[in-house]
Amino acid sequence: MSKRSDLITQITTNLSGHSNISISEELPFDSGGIPLYDKNLNVVYVDEEEIVVEQLYRTLDQGNVNQTTTTLTAYLSTDAKNQFNDINTVVANLLIARNVVTNVTDSNSDYETEITDDVITYTFEYNFITV
Amino acid sequence: MAVINVTSGDQAILTLGNVAPDSDGIISGGLQIPFVQDITVNATPGTVRYSTLDSTASSAFTTVNENSISLNVLVDDEVMFGNATATGNSVEINGLLPTSIAKTEVYFSVAVTGTGTTGDINISGQGFIGGLAPTASIDSAVWLSPMEIIVNGELTKTAES
Repeated sequence: MSKRSDLITQITTNLSGHSNISISEELPFDSGGIPLYDKNLNVVYVDEEEIVVEQLYRTLDQGNVNQTTTTLTAYLSTDAKNQFNDINTVVANLLIARNVVTNVTDSNSDYETEITDDVITYTFEYNFITV
Repeated sequence: MAVINVTSGDQAILTLGNVAPDSDGIISGGLQIPFVQDITVNATPGTVRYSTLDSTASSAFTTVNENSISLNVLVDDEVMFGNATATGNSVEINGLLPTSIAKTEVYFSVAVTGTGTTGDINISGQGFIGGLAPTASIDSAVWLSPMEIIVNGELTKTAES
């Protein structure tokens, strides 16, 4: 199981009590120049994994220890004028979904918002660090 | 004359064993310590200072040398705790920590400029493993440990022939 599929599974579980929001396993590609998450409001899309490998420790015999950071980005767009009453709960559930990924030395998640016309897009970023 | 570049991965290598180094300073079948972050060869003459009424500065005379090798390593489980299936020397089989606990004297060699080339410099001797303090924390992600070899006797510098 990849971190992306684990995260999608956990987000699905966390949002199971919210009938107005669903999660797609599709990548958030553009359709007709519009990202799917802007086209399909109230659907969570998780992007492909981005992986960065950095040197954590250098040793004299070049037996280097590396640190791998896997970044996942998720998107949720909804009506900016009529947001869900429990949008804060939805956001919190999306943020803590990172806890499903184990065997990492560190994980964190945050989000930012952007409003275009009457649509607000929540962009979540998840980072998973392994050594 | 040139600085010694230690970025190639085959220099500044510490080897331990239970047999004395050969005439080139190399320990046959020795255990090369992996994941060394830094290593320091301490060759320190003991000194005693004294003052006299006819001098504005203190004087000194030497006593015996106090030599040691100190280093920091990332802990490799087999090297630190032993590898029972190894066929090498007793240090490799028993591991650094048990060898230190047993106070077993070991031979060591530090390949200053690497090995295998005429003129390569080795510093060798014998002593006791000490100073092991394996430390783990969630921030470092791996076990780290300092280590010291308390040298019993003189350091010997040899050049490969």
